[in-house]
Amino acid sequence: MKKIFFSVLLLLPVYTNAQLKADDVKTFTLKNGMKFLVVEDFSIPNANMYLFFKVGSRNEHEGITGLSHFFEHMMYNGAKKYGPKMFDRTMEFNGGSNNAYTTENVTVYTNWFPAASSEIIFDLEGDRISSLTIDSAMVESERGVVLSERSTNLENSPWTLLSESVQETAFQQHPYHWPVIGYEDDIKNWQQKDLEKYFKTYYAPNNCVVVVSGALKFEEVKKLAEKYFEPIPSQPLPPVVHIKEPEQNGERRITVQKEVSAPYLMIAYHAVDVKNEDYYALNMLSYILSSGESSRLYSVLVDQKQLATDVYTNFGDNLDPGLFSIYAAANPGVNIDDLEKEIYIQIDKIIKDGISENELQKVKNQILIQFYRQIETINGKSDNIGTYEVFFGDYKKLFEAPANYNKITGAEIQAVAKKYFKKSNRTVGVLQTNVED
Amino acid sequence: MEYYKLTLKINRMKITKCILFSWLLLSSVCLIAQSYKVPAYSTFKLQNGLTVNLMEQHEVPLINVSIILPAGAINDQNQSGIASLTATALKHGTKNYSKLQLEEALNYVGANVNTYAAKEFTILSASFAAYDRAKVLGIIKEIMVEPVFDADAFNKEKSRLLTILEQQKESPDGLIRSYFDKALFGNQVYGNLLDGNSESVSKLTVEDVRQFYKNNYSPNETAISIVGDFSTEEMKKTVTNLFSSWQKSSTTHESAAEKPIDFPKANRVLLLNKDDATETTFYIGSKGVSRSNSDIVAIEVINAYFGGRFTSLLNDELRISTGLTYGAGSWFPTYKYSGSFIISTFTANKTTEAAIDKTLEVIAQFHKNGIDEKSLTSAKNYIKGQFPPRYETSGQLAGLLSEMFWYQFDASYIDNFEKNVDGLDLAKANEIIAKYFPKNHFQFVLIGKASEIKKIAGKYGKVTEMEIKKGP
Repeated sequence: MKKIFFSVLLLLPVYTNAQLKADDVKTFTLKNGMKFLVVEDFSIPNANMYLFFKVGSRNEHEGITGLSHFFEHMMYNGAKKYGPKMFDRTMEFNGGSNNAYTTENVTVYTNWFPAASSEIIFDLEGDRISSLTIDSAMVESERGVVLSERSTNLENSPWTLLSESVQETAFQQHPYHWPVIGYEDDIKNWQQKDLEKYFKTYYAPNNCVVVVSGALKFEEVKKLAEKYFEPIPSQPLPPVVHIKEPEQNGERRITVQKEVSAPYLMIAYHAVDVKNEDYYALNMLSYILSSGESSRLYSVLVDQKQLATDVYTNFGDNLDPGLFSIYAAANPGVNIDDLEKEIYIQIDKIIKDGISENELQKVKNQILIQFYRQIETINGKSDNIGTYEVFFGDYKKLFEAPANYNKITGAEIQAVAKKYFKKSNRTVGVLQTNVED
Repeated sequence: MEYYKLTLKINRMKITKCILFSWLLLSSVCLIAQSYKVPAYSTFKLQNGLTVNLMEQHEVPLINVSIILPAGAINDQNQSGIASLTATALKHGTKNYSKLQLEEALNYVGANVNTYAAKEFTILSASFAAYDRAKVLGIIKEIMVEPVFDADAFNKEKSRLLTILEQQKESPDGLIRSYFDKALFGNQVYGNLLDGNSESVSKLTVEDVRQFYKNNYSPNETAISIVGDFSTEEMKKTVTNLFSSWQKSSTTHESAAEKPIDFPKANRVLLLNKDDATETTFYIGSKGVSRSNSDIVAIEVINAYFGGRFTSLLNDELRISTGLTYGAGSWFPTYKYSGSFIISTFTANKTTEAAIDKTLEVIAQFHKNGIDEKSLTSAKNYIKGQFPPRYETSGQLAGLLSEMFWYQFDASYIDNFEKNVDGLDLAKANEIIAKYFPKNHFQFVLIGKASEIKKIAGKYGKVTEMEIKKGP
């Protein structure tokens, strides 16, 4: 099989200039174990700071489900120097804005600001990481906010309800069982002491990776980090998540009721974590199945046979083995069993006959372009560099990714389809109006 | 294709999102004005009237294209949804590519080419590797200039759209804006639906699409903006070669959007029943301003204070202080000849009355107290600080050039933006509030469980009740 090197393929730019390379990322680690990754980028007079804390819903247990996410909310509600509401007011006064996200694996705080305001950002972060206060009035109002967040996600998309149901069916023992937002009854019952314990355990500087990209010099960032973060004492590392989901050895099925004009289908297979050798091949399989109108599932289900109005696949980045999922919204009047059967027919084709050389090259091209799109902004740079550092253990793997993908053969992709797309390994969810007949 | 991740990101804010101590006051005057300027670009017109903008950006080996032309929902006339279907149908095959060949060619190189109709215009937006520019630009030309409008593909798309229109009724977020625009603009074309409705779409044929294309797509009212990793000299030749053959149309556009709007003169409530709703999604809004309004920058600054950022008056009251909602905000959608003002939020069924009352209270307080010096400084700093990232990528810059063409403003709007923000003083700021932020004549749109909220709806204005299942 001919190996096509991507450099020949498409990436000789017309002018070579300012292309992000691994060497552009400079690092240092503070005495307390907090690691910093810095990218100087003066294309706009702005910078960002992304703080990756290695804590997510996988670190919870029943009774405190959703606490990582709730904690993310509480991080904004007052610390020693900047009291309740002052974190956001101060940041916005200084031209900055922020957001944060929580997943099963990590909690990430994202700050975006004019480079001239960098010192105040370090001050704000240093204050809350070292001295967060948990005010009971704020706990109560924030509880209402989270309940509203949960409600609006469920209200506006059937996928939220369906994917939560499939996930909790696929995972019986591992903490991926519950949704990141938590059970409604746990949301209503978190106690102050739960939050205080969580803060001590997980919000340690040595449990955090910080990425700064933008119009700041490396030396400047280092100086500010030493001033505002180094005094924060390190903590013992948090407990390891010791539960491994036992192998699923039989198909699982779940039906969910919601008022919809046509059913929604989700099929999830147990897959792998990011460090597994099958990670790259599975990602490519995801593209082959659903990326673009000419992809396997889209072309058959949506275009040729009109069984679905849309189809997606997802294989996420996880610290523990996650799921490879297929989502399809049925066309009205279509028997959901027919839609499901057709998906298996298409998967079996790959298992039996593999993929074409054309498809293999297509997915490599798509992945490569995606890489460039991701690093076009300082935010994309920080998010991706941080994700690779935390999940893969080394930010350099981001830059090695195109080459790693390029090495994968059609046979390897066929092999992972055969290995993971087994009936005994799948969980199937159907969301529809009528669940009784 | 969107990805739904197992690692479903739960964001802190759905919207993007001083008791100020003395040290803040000291620093308030010291924020360096970081002036952002539009990067250099070339602009010229072809003989057929097509405006071409070329801007070089070499950070990544990608190219972005934005084509804008006057074929939006406002041009639908009595065929609601035709502009949208026509934009989609452009990709159903061209002179040298069948639909499948088109899809395969673009997918193969990882190029994204999207065509869609918005309220005022149709857009073709594309992103692809610089290396593939010859091939992809050739395809883009065919999509714009030589679409074939395949009947079979059209019928499939129409059928798919009818299903999607049904599915939209399951999501209040997705539908509320359509209802609001209709309520505010009435029969004036700014009230037109973007995708049509089940009734109007069922009647459309591929011949209608062909006719709409013939009547509305012409190079002399169109701009193509290309931003990315290329050489201007070479790109100028490429674009001239590709697009010169595009025939100018002789049809003139009746500008229905310029026609006056009979804005409602009383508070009215549109209540849309969704039986299984566990929360009420609502808009409160009124008349706004057009894009060309000379106070547009000042309005943006004041809106940041009122409802346009996380610590806004609205979000502070409705989310941070009371926990009634996950997010509340406001903004001024603007069009060429008119605009609106919208407050948007949602809350659990049982707190609907409390949330609406609180919103009205915030509005009243805002008009009573105006804005103070410290808050104004904060809002100005915020707007300036968040400005440069709007134009970081080639895609954003290509979009900007399209906007400049459409709304007829030049680079000075961007280059002077920060200066104009700085120039807003307290007196002017309070004038802006009185002049542009509505106090009354509100249109309320509530999507929720009528059996639980109907009884309080009448408090806010004359109520019209409908079923969301019926659609807009």
